[in-house]
Amino acid sequence: MKDFDVMTELLRINNISFSTGANGRDIRVSAGVDEGCVLGVRGPSGIGKTTLLRILARLRPAEGGEVFLQGKHWTDFSSSQWRRRVHYLAQKPALFDGTVRENLQKPFELAAVKQDLRFDPGKAAELMERLFLSANMLDQDARTLSGGEASRLALVRALLVEPSILLLDEPLSALDHGAAGAVLDLMAGWLLGAPGRAMVIVSHVGELDRLPGFSVCELKGKEGGAVG
Amino acid sequence: MGNQVIPISNLHLALSVVLVFIAGGISAALRLGLLKSLAWGTVRTFVQLTFIGYVLKYVFTVNNLWLIFSIVVVMCYVAARASVKRTPGVPDYPVTLAFWSLLASTVLVGLVVVRLIINPAPWYTARIIIPIFGMILGNSMNGIALSLDRLYSEAYLRAGEIETLLAFGATPWEAVRGCVKDAMRAGMTPTINSLMVVGLVSLPGMMTGQILGGVDPGEAVRYQIVVMLMITAAVAAGCLMLVGLSYKRLFTPDGALKGEITGSRQ
Repeated sequence: MKDFDVMTELLRINNISFSTGANGRDIRVSAGVDEGCVLGVRGPSGIGKTTLLRILARLRPAEGGEVFLQGKHWTDFSSSQWRRRVHYLAQKPALFDGTVRENLQKPFELAAVKQDLRFDPGKAAELMERLFLSANMLDQDARTLSGGEASRLALVRALLVEPSILLLDEPLSALDHGAAGAVLDLMAGWLLGAPGRAMVIVSHVGELDRLPGFSVCELKGKEGGAVG
Repeated sequence: MGNQVIPISNLHLALSVVLVFIAGGISAALRLGLLKSLAWGTVRTFVQLTFIGYVLKYVFTVNNLWLIFSIVVVMCYVAARASVKRTPGVPDYPVTLAFWSLLASTVLVGLVVVRLIINPAPWYTARIIIPIFGMILGNSMNGIALSLDRLYSEAYLRAGEIETLLAFGATPWEAVRGCVKDAMRAGMTPTINSLMVVGLVSLPGMMTGQILGGVDPGEAVRYQIVVMLMITAAVAAGCLMLVGLSYKRLFTPDGALKGEITGSRQ
């Protein structure tokens, strides 16, 4: 875990606690993520790694604890403002009815996004190309994409809205080796491409340690707690 | 007899029970096991309608505004309970919301029809208000039950999409707007369909009743047109109010989708 540094720490997780449904174990997590860095969340299956990401995105409540974004308490943000900045990408991301282009444009119809950002087709095409998704796919029905293509498209969609923190749940699980490498390169480039960015990633893949500033948060039961 | 109602004597009324024997015969022949239900249903029809006949006779004679209003409130409550029972996929849904939606839409549309279109003297004539409000309620009850059921089934089905939108910073309304549209369509479609086929496939009950009661068909048609349009307006208003009041119940106070909707994603 990195040393706490007020100047560079982007996300601070303080004693977030929850119990996992499957085995009833109580989990308590404290960790921090610096700007431009990645926090990997690891632990056995069913321990609550996805639950932790969903709590960080305020998509489910925690039993206790608090989170700070750039030193600001999470309840100082409306849930909408928070999720706009701390974006959660599910392991099996949902695509909407319509074309690939319409799926990429969908977030820009939301008030929280369109007030400070416009859809940039050039940027979308560039990101797609970097993930081996041809620009010719833009008019394709999104429901016809394979699992791997859908996963990469969802990552492109997430990056286009420029969050501060990306919460990624097994982003490489549906990808072959080549596509996984491209995703990792894109992630590294995104992290260092602008200030005020960081990631929290749940992944079983070991290659994540090639990402900049990678640290690990190991989830354990109550007896050991969890540390960042 | 001219334009008079042809009265049905007690003997002829008793003779109508023969009709139930036809249904009973079919049930017995095919061993449908419906004989008991048919017999009980027939008894209830006689008892309930006879009872309501006496009640209406009293209410029409007294014609008291507060009595009429109390009856409308009771009708709304019964309709609200019935509509919630028709939505088994909606857990712990409060009858209160359905009641207020039905009361508001029924009173709103009913008063427009009674005061502006029919305009009886006095305006709170029970003989007009109770059947009109009853027709509105009967249809609104079905409409809101359908829309509520669809709202929840769509939310379960599209929980992933709703959460994806929330994750981008959508408000609960933005996230669930597609489900609300589908729910509204589901509630209103039967009413719109009946507008399309009215008079072609069947004559509506009210119009048939008026014609049997000796009213000129032209006049009965005018009433029926008003009734059809009033039902359409009431169903739309009732569905809108109920869905508008209900969609927030899919979310936690922090604007996240509730655990019972997201299911395994928790």
